[in-house]
Parts: sequence; structure tokens; C-alpha cells
Amino acid sequence: MNTILQELETTISGLKTDTSRSNVGTVRECGDGVAKIEGLSDVMLNEMIEFPSGLYGIALNLEETEVGAILLGDFTEVREGTEVRTTGRLLSVPVGKELLGRVVNALGQPIDEKGPIKSDKTYPVEKIAPGIIKRKSVSVPVQTGILPIDAMIPIGRGQRELIIGDRATGKTTIAIDTIINQARLNKAAEDGKIKNHTPLYCIYVGVGQKNMSIARTVDILEKAGAMPYTIVVSAPASESATNQYLAPYAGAAMGEWFMDNGMDALIVYDDLTKHAAAYRQVSLVLKRPSGREAYPGDVFYLHSRLLERAARLSKEAGGGSLTALPVIETQAGDVSAYIPTNVISITDGQIFLETDLFYQGVRPAISVGISVSRVGSAAQIKAVKQVAGSTKLDLAQFRDLQAFAQFGSDVDPGTRKKLDRGSRIVELFKQAQYNPYPVEQEVAILFAMQKGYFDDVPVDKVKDCQNKLVEYFTTRKEDVLALILDKLTIDKEVEEKLHSAVKDFKGFYKP
Amino acid sequence: MTINESAKKLHGRLPHRVMRTAKEARKVSRQLFRESFRDGKLDEERITQMVQSVLANKPRHYVDVLQDYQRLLRLEQEKRHAVIESASPLNRSVGDQVVNNLKSRYGDDLNIEFRTNPELLGGMRIKIGDDVWDGSVRNRLRQLQEQI
Repeated sequence: MNTILQELETTISGLKTDTSRSNVGTVRECGDGVAKIEGLSDVMLNEMIEFPSGLYGIALNLEETEVGAILLGDFTEVREGTEVRTTGRLLSVPVGKELLGRVVNALGQPIDEKGPIKSDKTYPVEKIAPGIIKRKSVSVPVQTGILPIDAMIPIGRGQRELIIGDRATGKTTIAIDTIINQARLNKAAEDGKIKNHTPLYCIYVGVGQKNMSIARTVDILEKAGAMPYTIVVSAPASESATNQYLAPYAGAAMGEWFMDNGMDALIVYDDLTKHAAAYRQVSLVLKRPSGREAYPGDVFYLHSRLLERAARLSKEAGGGSLTALPVIETQAGDVSAYIPTNVISITDGQIFLETDLFYQGVRPAISVGISVSRVGSAAQIKAVKQVAGSTKLDLAQFRDLQAFAQFGSDVDPGTRKKLDRGSRIVELFKQAQYNPYPVEQEVAILFAMQKGYFDDVPVDKVKDCQNKLVEYFTTRKEDVLALILDKLTIDKEVEEKLHSAVKDFKGFYKP
Repeated sequence: MTINESAKKLHGRLPHRVMRTAKEARKVSRQLFRESFRDGKLDEERITQMVQSVLANKPRHYVDVLQDYQRLLRLEQEKRHAVIESASPLNRSVGDQVVNNLKSRYGDDLNIEFRTNPELLGGMRIKIGDDVWDGSVRNRLRQLQEQI
């Protein structure tokens, strides 16, 4: 009892109240989540404004005699004449490892009914991206576990790789697969199965999606055991446009904390098309001048400042990284629309998903011709590079020749060989969703493909042969897989072992 | 007639317009506003002259011009308007002391208004333009609440 009284006494003696000076304004008009306020002569851009009901707003438009502010939360209580005051603070969200495994809203408040978040650290939502001196080039890979991506469009830690495609072409699936694979790798590293692995924490930001879609994503991540390494920031379509506009920045702030503390993080913005639409709404209600497709003039800056925050820091700056996987939805495959071209020009490459391929059964429906990774090859593991070097070219040639071969059956043996190889590569690259491959299995499959071990397997049996080959490696040739993982390059010893293992397998495999 | 009264009178003569002030009208009203000062202070004579001239000449969007002009004048007036709120009426000596303090800090041309607001519970709250000095019990309790 005495200690409680003492504690109370020290708490009370520590409390101080004083006459406070504040800068106030009066709401002139309010609607659609936006308020026009007269006064507030000392307000800063992006400063938080406090309303009497405990509601907060952010000053976005500073005009000669009034301030345009967006409101964060239920604005039905705000009336004309309500007095508001400045706070001197910028909007911040909680950051730290305490957020892992949680689902939060755009303000970092938990919405998963798992209790309060015990983080005492906060980061401002809007932050200037790291400068030139602090950065270094991408050198460590992000293993997505998706064979065509790891082989042909490799992503490095600190890169910004756009996932673009029409609706229902598997954009989110690629992002979720990547998150699941990171969780598997992180767990394997914790268990001591992988050496020299820096954990990659993931942040999934759902903007303007259906609540059901976000719930499904969380469910998938939970079932795959990925939630302990993942933060989900949710701003579904039912949230105000303000929260949808802020959610990606809040997610970026959470990712930056990992980066600034020497850790690696990956952030998925799903999707930026809806983010741009939310920002358009906010801007139009604030009466900002509109431009093409009614987007405001700074819609490019909206995404460039967000994606610039993804970086790989130099050793002196802590050596952390933030990789960004923005998602953009196109209409009828039109990549030349306003927002897609903007984001394509900002990012370091794109993975383009095609509806036609998707319905042909090629899943993931990656269009190899226009998918690129501008910096990722520097980060690709040597072993993968050795076995996948010419795959993209082979596949591109196959697509060209396929068009010609449709008109006649007489093709020269060289062309026939390319066509046969191409159709088998396409089969090999088909992959079930939420089933990422470990890198050593990818190397084994790509090795067998490059050395022509699938050439005598009928095209419709290639997938079966591949699955059995993987099974064979994981059950009977674990030592070879372990050797690949250990060396991460194909030297003479690994090559011989791979050859003998695949030959051994082919000896008893009957298509 | 004070500026406030003339502004109110002007407001009464103008039809109520919901339409937003046209850009052109805002430009003209700002120009009128800039011309309304003499030695850094609003000049009643000038304001009356300008309003009369606008009403006589009736330029384009003149109603919008006058409405926006009135708003700018009101905002400028509010900058020099001090509201001293207290939970109970202040006695004369305290009131004079506060007024003298404010005038020494903000200048002699302050327009001072005393108000009683029992919601403050105690203490005083002074608002000058957008600045608020809050020493009321209500504010102190709010501060305590935030700290705890």
C-alpha cells in the first residue's frame, strides 16, 4: 500500500499545468471529410489540427485567409463555427517490431481485436526519403519463390518493382507468395537451417479494397504462418478517402523503422490506382485545380515521394533496406494510361500480368516480353544466374516463333528445337498459388531445364515430371540441395552431383 | 460609426449569395483591402469612400467584391479584437491590469471585450486574433488529463 501511495505521490508531483498559448481557428465549412478553417495563422503544412471532440485533421491547403484540412475519423460532429487549434505535431504512427503480426488502420491503431500495441516509438507519416550519400546499390536478392520471377525478373532488396495487370490476373497473389516465402526463409534462418540470412519483414498495405479481400489476405498469411513477420495496414473502400490516401505513407513509415535500424523490410502497396483515386477525391473536395483525368497536378509527386522512400542504405547508414512492390491495376491491358505510366517511370522495373495468358492457364500470367527488372540482376544469386541466364531470351524467341509456326507445320530442326524448349519452359514456369519454391529447388529445376533433361518429356507431362523431380530431390538428394544452398554457385562439384541426380531420376521416371 | 458597424451595415445591404467568390472579384477585393490602410491601420474614411464608389459604379461582380472585401475587413478586425473570458465577472482593478498588460504587449488600438463563461470553472482565457492564452481551470484539467 505504501509503495502505491509513494508512486501516486511522485506521479502527482511530476504533473505540471501552466497557462498555454495556442493558435486557433474557426471552421467555416465542412463536408466530405474536408474542413475549411478561418484563422490558424501559425499552422504548418501537414500539421495536425485538434478539434474539440478529440478528432484530428491535417492542414493540406494553406491559403491567404483560410486553411483546408482533411479530417481523420468521424467528422459528423464538426459544425460551422467549431473552434480548432494547432498542435505543433506532424501525423505520426507507431513503429517497431511490436506491430508484427498485427492488422492496423492508416493511423496505426489496431483493428484486429488483439489488444493495444505496446510500442513507444513513433515515426512521422510523411518523411523525406534517404539522400544520395546514405544509399548504395542493390546487392542482396529478395527471394520471391516464384520461379519465373527469380529466374528472369530478379528483385533486389531496396528495389521498387511494380506489379501491373488487369483485374483478377494474380497481382495480389504474387505479392502474397513473396510475403509467404520471406516468412518461410525467416523461420528457416531462426531454426538454423539457413546461414547468413538477414530476415526480411513484410508490410502489406491494402488500399481501397473490399474488407473481404483484406480479411482473406490476412487469413492466408495466418494459415501460411507468415503473420508473425508481417504487418497489415488496412484502409478498405469503406474508410474515408483521407485514410486511404494516408495508408501507404503510414506503411512506409513502419517499413522505414526497420530500414533505419539496420534491418530489411518489404512493403506491398495494393494498390496505388485506388490510392491515386482517393487522393483525387481529397484534392477535388479541397478545390485544388484538376488536370488530366481530373487528377491533381501533384499526382506524380504523390507516388514518387512514396516510392523514393524505398532504399538500400550504405553500411555507414546502418545497412538496412526497404523494398517496395507497388501494385497497379490497368483497364483492358492499357499500360499507357496516366497512373500506370507515372508509376512505371518511377519504379525500377515491372512485372506485367496478362489476362490472355491467365486464361490460357499460364499462372502466374507474367508477360516476359514487357516485364523487366532494371537493377535486380545485380542481386541475383550466382547459381540462379548460371542456370537461368538465357531463359528470357529463349522464351522471347519462342513467343516470336510461335506466331509463325501457327501457319505451317514445316519448320527447320533449329526452329523446332526452340519451339519445343519454349513450350516446356512455359510449362515449368506454371506454379500453384501460395506455393513458393525454395531457391535450391529453383536451381535444380532450372538446371534440369537448361541441360535439356525435360526435352524428351511430352509437354503435358512436364509439370508432373517437375513435381516428381522436386520430390526426388527433397526426399533422396537432400545433400545436393544443401550443397547448392551452401555454395550458392554451380561449380564443378555441384554440377556433377546435379547431373548424376537428374540422370538417376530420369532413369526411373516414366511419363 | 465604427468599422465593425459599417461592415455590418454593408452586409445587410448585400443579397445572400451562395456562389463562391469569382477569382476576379477576389482580386479586386484584395486590392481594395490593401488600399484600406493608413499608417498600418484600417482607415474608416477610406473604407467608406471605397465602398460608396463601388456601389455607385457597380463594376462586374460588385456584390462578390464587396462580400469578399467585408470578409477581409472582418478578419483584419478580429486580429485586433481581444476577448477576455473569465468564469465570473472580473473586478475593475483586475480588468484594468489585464487590459494594460495586453495593450503594452499588442499596442493601444486593441478592441477589448469582456465575457463571462462559467464553463471555464476558474481562471482566465484571452483570445487575440488567432492567439489564445488559456489559464483557465478547464484547460489545466485537460492538461492533467493528457499527462495522466
